[in-house]
Amino acid sequence: MTKISKFFFMALALMFLAAPMFAQGPGGAAAAGGNVWVPVTAGFAMAIASGLCALAQGKAVAGAAEGIARNPGAFPAIRFALIFGLALIESLALYVLVIIFVKVV
Amino acid sequence: MVTHEAFLTKLFNAWFGGLGNQLLGMFGLKADNPAEPWADFMVMQILVVVLLILLFAILRSRLSVDKPGTMQHIFELIHNFIAGEAEGQVGHDAHKHTLMFEALFIFLLACNLIGLIPGFVSPTQVIYVPVGCALIAFLYFNIEGMKKQGVGKYLAHFAGPIWWMAPLMIPIEIIGTLARPLSLSVRLFANMYAGEQVTMVFLSMTYLVIPAMFMGLHVFVSLLQAYIFTLLTMIYVAGAVEEAH
Repeated sequence: MTKISKFFFMALALMFLAAPMFAQGPGGAAAAGGNVWVPVTAGFAMAIASGLCALAQGKAVAGAAEGIARNPGAFPAIRFALIFGLALIESLALYVLVIIFVKVV
Repeated sequence: MVTHEAFLTKLFNAWFGGLGNQLLGMFGLKADNPAEPWADFMVMQILVVVLLILLFAILRSRLSVDKPGTMQHIFELIHNFIAGEAEGQVGHDAHKHTLMFEALFIFLLACNLIGLIPGFVSPTQVIYVPVGCALIAFLYFNIEGMKKQGVGKYLAHFAGPIWWMAPLMIPIEIIGTLARPLSLSVRLFANMYAGEQVTMVFLSMTYLVIPAMFMGLHVFVSLLQAYIFTLLTMIYVAGAVEEAH
């Protein structure tokens, strides 16, 4: 078997392992009084937001490290831009967290 | 249903319950539970302010030009740090605004850090306190901009540099300016609240080393968030106060 088909069947097997989740459906809706998919969506939304935030912060740190390597004298200015940029990117992922806290009971 | 986390809140409600209800009544509001009008965050804010005033009173009595002590060194460090950043951002008028920046920074730093002491709650973990600080920063940079440039000129800068693009620029600029206090408050609140929640999650799993590591991370995040709040306020004041080119 090729590497790709091995990977594909492995992923498929892992997804079948999650089958017991469907047994929980009606109970969840009755308990929440609403949609059962709200917690699932919340999990996916937070995961996507955190993943993209991590990618963006990685790019920021890579740029900063390269800048310091090229020009060690500019370290204070680059450090300022790095910390500032990281905090603003972080806050974008945290906005998703706030929406989750507001919308998911 | 508010669960008291701080013993100080219980003391306040026991001693000053009547005063709390009277103060709320002055504004026409009623407490959810008349036996407990003082909320955690109100009591903690008052505690932070009282502690800061005491700290600065002690510092004032120990100031000396010839033989500065440790406290004086520490607070000179903090003051030079904030004043230096303000000079870098705002330019030559920075000394007028350094007072507000430093007050915001030290208040927010103390509010963020006091939550780490067991028995106390961070006021900034409740949405109301960061919104209050963000509204103060918002009013401050707008009023300073209007004082410096006059109300008409300050409002006219929303139209952007090219006059015939004004109908497009004005809504964008207004929404952008209104988004500033929103982002300031949500950033601070979300960082503090998420820090506490993450520590709670790990505490519910194990009592050993791991929750302490997250509390250490929370110290760093508290410092960083207080600094970012102050820095963004400086940038907004700089943008409002700069002369038109």
